[in-house]
Amino acid sequence: MITVPIEHVILMAAILFSLGLTGVLARRNVLFILLSIEVMLNAAGIAFVAAGARWAQADGQIMFLFILTMAAAEVAVGLAIILQYYRHTGTLDVDAMGGGRR
Amino acid sequence: MVRGDFFILLPLIITGGAAVAVMLLISFRRSHLATATVTLVALGAAVISVICVAAAAPRQASALLILDSYALFYMGLIFAAGCAVTMIAYDYFERQTDHREEFYLLLLLATLGSAVLVSSNHFASLFLGLEILSVSLYALIAFHRERLPSVEAGVRYLILAAASSAFLLFGMALIYLERGDMTFFRSTQIASGVPAWSPLLLAGTALLIVGIGFKLALVPFHMWTPDIYEGAPPPATAFIASVSKGAAFVLLLRYVTLFGLHSGSVQSAAIAAIAVASMFFGNLLALREEKVRRVLAYSSIAHMGYLLVAILAAGPLAAVAAGYYLVAYFTSIIGSFGIISVREGREGGGDAVSDYRGYAWRHPWLGGAFTAMLLSLAGIPITAGFVGKFYLLAAGLESSLRLLVVVLVASSAIGLFYYLRIIITLYGPPEAERQGAAITPAVSLAGGVALTALTFLLIWFGAYPAPLLRLIQAMVGG
Amino acid sequence: MSGAELNIPALWPFVVYSGVVIFMAIGMLGTSYILGERHRGGAMGQPYECGIVPTGSARLRHSAKFYLIAVFFVIFDLEAVFVFAWAVAVRESGWAGYAEMLIFIGILLSALVYLWRIGALEWGSRHTPRRGAEDSL
Repeated sequence: MITVPIEHVILMAAILFSLGLTGVLARRNVLFILLSIEVMLNAAGIAFVAAGARWAQADGQIMFLFILTMAAAEVAVGLAIILQYYRHTGTLDVDAMGGGRR
Repeated sequence: MVRGDFFILLPLIITGGAAVAVMLLISFRRSHLATATVTLVALGAAVISVICVAAAAPRQASALLILDSYALFYMGLIFAAGCAVTMIAYDYFERQTDHREEFYLLLLLATLGSAVLVSSNHFASLFLGLEILSVSLYALIAFHRERLPSVEAGVRYLILAAASSAFLLFGMALIYLERGDMTFFRSTQIASGVPAWSPLLLAGTALLIVGIGFKLALVPFHMWTPDIYEGAPPPATAFIASVSKGAAFVLLLRYVTLFGLHSGSVQSAAIAAIAVASMFFGNLLALREEKVRRVLAYSSIAHMGYLLVAILAAGPLAAVAAGYYLVAYFTSIIGSFGIISVREGREGGGDAVSDYRGYAWRHPWLGGAFTAMLLSLAGIPITAGFVGKFYLLAAGLESSLRLLVVVLVASSAIGLFYYLRIIITLYGPPEAERQGAAITPAVSLAGGVALTALTFLLIWFGAYPAPLLRLIQAMVGG
Repeated sequence: MSGAELNIPALWPFVVYSGVVIFMAIGMLGTSYILGERHRGGAMGQPYECGIVPTGSARLRHSAKFYLIAVFFVIFDLEAVFVFAWAVAVRESGWAGYAEMLIFIGILLSALVYLWRIGALEWGSRHTPRRGAEDSL
């Protein structure tokens, strides 16, 4: 079996996390911000799985399941709110919010 | 699971069971009064169960939760605050007709999440508690879906809370990677084999602090807080300002106490910088705000900055000071938003400071209560806020954090200005066209009871702090 | 990277497989390019090249109902993950695990009852018994 060094996995997770964070900061569309946050969450999930593999415990994977569940709950509630926002304003641009980004 | 575990978890089981019961109640009979009553009774029962269970503490219930006297004290506080918010919400939603029952369901869930958070002893329970709290809060904040500011506040909180959860999770993953264990306790023991502060641990802790900093709305992470406080329904704002922040703070305090912040380390310097910035900017930015809710939002940022002094001071006195300050802060901030909520539910009208002109003449009791709450937030003697701030100062001086203590005093002095400005407006000459508005009853029974109780507690804790102090020393100081 | 040579035997099925896939894709595209008939005109440039002329744009708005059902699917689907996790460890977790799973499913069921009663599961009818979830979307 080929084993991937743990540093590589963590590095990849860190890169993914930074990409997601960049998306959150740079994007204007709420949907894309939400997508970027999902990327960040999954980066954390990868880091957890890698950590679990390092210590040969199932905990890391269990945390990943929790992250998945939480992301689903968040998206369910979040999309409903975003839909309402779209109904009110006809746009998904966060900068259009009252007072803009502070 | 042993029987003892079930007993000690009774407060959590009651709250969780009540959430399911309320959900079923809503499905079969939509009644505002019945839903609110069930919620109130359940939260009251949870408070009582905390007292019953206290004898069996401390006990570790599975690897995830620890029910020690520290956790139980704050659990009791959270449930009591939940009761107060329920009563205020009943008053607020009495005049509205649409889908108001779900508010109590979400409130119960958010309270459950906070209770799990303060008793968590493991990253998994921390995460679960935090998410139950946050996801309920998204819906609570955007509850007025027909009002754009409320929905906007919901979107803002969604982005903020979800991003901060991601930071928190990544931090937890890094710490787990280094320590090989996710519980809070054993990590400290294992630490002998692992280098005390490796780069990964440092990075993990930094990410953790960023995540919690967002939840507490500390200064570099405070953007949007005023917008959220302004847009959310007032009972929901009361809940975010008190329970949600309080639970995150209690968790941070426990974590820092267990792992210890090496004095003079990068971390304690960073936290000190955050504390100073929060105290100063919170109070300074509040000065230029014209809306009462935004003023209170900045004031809550400053209050979290004060509380960080307790975290840095560390030690039994600091724990007691934090406990007292949190009780005082909960009472005053729930009371303040309670009065805002009562006023908005009945009179409507703007939220600007000038809209409150002459309010105390129209409603002397509510005006008086609001004055007491604001004085307590400002830390004026014979209110609970003064005693809390006094102990914070004492704790800070004991650990010789001179700079922080000076900043605390100076920024509190700045804070006096904006609290006094609101109070003076309350007693200003009433506008002529508004005088006719005083005919409606000022407040319903539930709201009245809640506000009276809060005001009474505020003055009692301020004038005669000994009993509460003894309780806190017994529960938290040990 | 010193272990790379040792691992080459484990890699070769993957390399062969990738080669076959690439060859097949190029082969299929290439053969149809060489052998295929070409004519222009009519509706041939349209998405459905069998000759049916598409009407309207593909960017039509779907009813929020679709979204609602999709969200229910995602939520209940993820709950199944926990049931599977329990099923794997059913012997180890014993009766206590069984009881916990019963509670878990009970809570899910009451959530389903709630959705059903507020009319979130009604498909098609405009009228809902109560102003509830559908209204909020």
